[in-house]
Amino acid sequence: MKIAVCVKQVPDSEVRLNLPGPVPELDRSAFTMVINPYDQFAVEEAVRIKERLGHGDITAVTVGPAAKVREMLKKDCLAVGCDRAVIVDDAALAGADPLAVAEVLAAVLRRDRYDLVLCGIKAIDDDSSQVGVMLAELLDWPHVGYIGSLDITGDGLTARREIEGGVEVVASPLPCVLTCGKGLNEPRLPSLPNIMKAGMKPVEVIDCAGLGLTPPAPLTAVKEYTPPPPRGACVMITADDDAAAARELARRLHEEAKII
Amino acid sequence: MPNIAVFIEQRAGQIKQVAWQMLSEARHLVDAHGGEVWGVHWHAADCDVSTTAGRYGAHKVVTATAPEFERYDSELWTQALAQFVQQHKPDLLLIGSTAMGKDLAPRLAARLRTACISDAVGLSWEDGLVVKRPVYAGKCFAHVTARSVCPVVGIRPNAFALRETGDTAAAVVFKPVLDASRARASVTAVETAAAGKAALTEAEIVVSGGRGIKGPENYRLIEDLAGALGAAAGASRAIVDAGWVDYSHQVGQTGKTVAPNLYVACGISGAIQHLAGMSSSKCIVAINKDPAAPIFKVADYGIAGDLFAVLPALTEAVREFKR
Repeated sequence: MKIAVCVKQVPDSEVRLNLPGPVPELDRSAFTMVINPYDQFAVEEAVRIKERLGHGDITAVTVGPAAKVREMLKKDCLAVGCDRAVIVDDAALAGADPLAVAEVLAAVLRRDRYDLVLCGIKAIDDDSSQVGVMLAELLDWPHVGYIGSLDITGDGLTARREIEGGVEVVASPLPCVLTCGKGLNEPRLPSLPNIMKAGMKPVEVIDCAGLGLTPPAPLTAVKEYTPPPPRGACVMITADDDAAAARELARRLHEEAKII
Repeated sequence: MPNIAVFIEQRAGQIKQVAWQMLSEARHLVDAHGGEVWGVHWHAADCDVSTTAGRYGAHKVVTATAPEFERYDSELWTQALAQFVQQHKPDLLLIGSTAMGKDLAPRLAARLRTACISDAVGLSWEDGLVVKRPVYAGKCFAHVTARSVCPVVGIRPNAFALRETGDTAAAVVFKPVLDASRARASVTAVETAAAGKAALTEAEIVVSGGRGIKGPENYRLIEDLAGALGAAAGASRAIVDAGWVDYSHQVGQTGKTVAPNLYVACGISGAIQHLAGMSSSKCIVAINKDPAAPIFKVADYGIAGDLFAVLPALTEAVREFKR
């Protein structure tokens, strides 16, 4: 089983933006960067599949400047069980949108021929949740999105995915793209010896030309970023005791806010 | 002068509320800028949505009926929607950012090689489409433009208000050519959750519990209030990770994003990861023992008190109002 896991480096969720007003671009220079937390579920699932089958080869694939993503690949992918990594590093991809990224990833995946591709359901920076599904379309593969459990059976798989008010059970042949969310597994932490050993695993750095690809032009662009509108001050409800405060809250929700 | 198409999603014959919300907003846009609103809808058996769609603003509803539409299939849905776009040539296609919409929109956009923008909460038309959407866990909004014909835009449920501004919509029959042999990943079963449990992402009211409930046995206080309000029950990451409730209840960065009319946070301190999932709620109520908890910074109403006293009294008071 040849598995690819697509990962993205994103700003840590604790990053503060504090925008003074509308800005044309975010200053990302001081952001602490981490692996996208959803991609960790994808990495972990790939490693578990390999462990269950007793064989397999896992490639972590990312798009970004090699100098910045190399450490993430080593610590969060290679040290927890991926066998190799590919970095697509091309300055022309700086403003890439989800479809452009999917086209670049598809070029890597076509070249190396995989049986299964795992992605996170979304990245926590742009929150687009598009790349995994687009990748499946560009490869002309089926996909199952937002899987909560997975069972690989010979040349196919069965996955469960949450929908509003229930669960869908989906069967698919291989090759297939899966997008992974919380609940699928508990990602393991890398051990220090494994981080040391990960430094020996192969990491390929390639650009679009090396993949025989013209850097795809983005079809979307961000015109500006604006801070969220300020919320009014919180009305603190006080009363003789907590039960009276609760009744007063219910009254205000009924009469002022007209919600109940 | 945009002609805006709205995908009217149904699951098991139930139309998603976000469809009417999208029609309402699309009508609001075309009333200011010209153009028409078209609903696009399909199902396995006869079902006429043109009256309701018309009321919420559709000028026409393009409808297909085929046995293949019994159960969602990303490939067949993509085929049908791609053919609709190619034949009717709308300038913009709106799809609800539901479980189905998030599965369908990126595949469709990649097939049509068109722009895809998800989880939008605002649409405007300045020399062309501008889509407003939260990024960085709601810490800011991105205003996104598209450089292709008929961008596909996903709309977050509850982002737009319902407006009954239309009258009747013309019904137009649409006959997509479906190639079922291309459908590879297929739904073999659908397991529905217990009746009466509202879906978190679509609920108009959400009541969530955090560490302040002190133990899994007290989550029933959250469920009782949710029951009284006709709300969905949510949870913070802390109590999901502690195993007190299933992760399907989690609201926040690694859980669900909700934008209900009312969000009641009980015993939740308000970590940035939690705010990411609920800060765009219209009205936020916080109940927390610690008056300095960050959740009060985003709340509209707050009670700094003991939730074990507040919640039963609130549940009872809500039941009183409903009587």
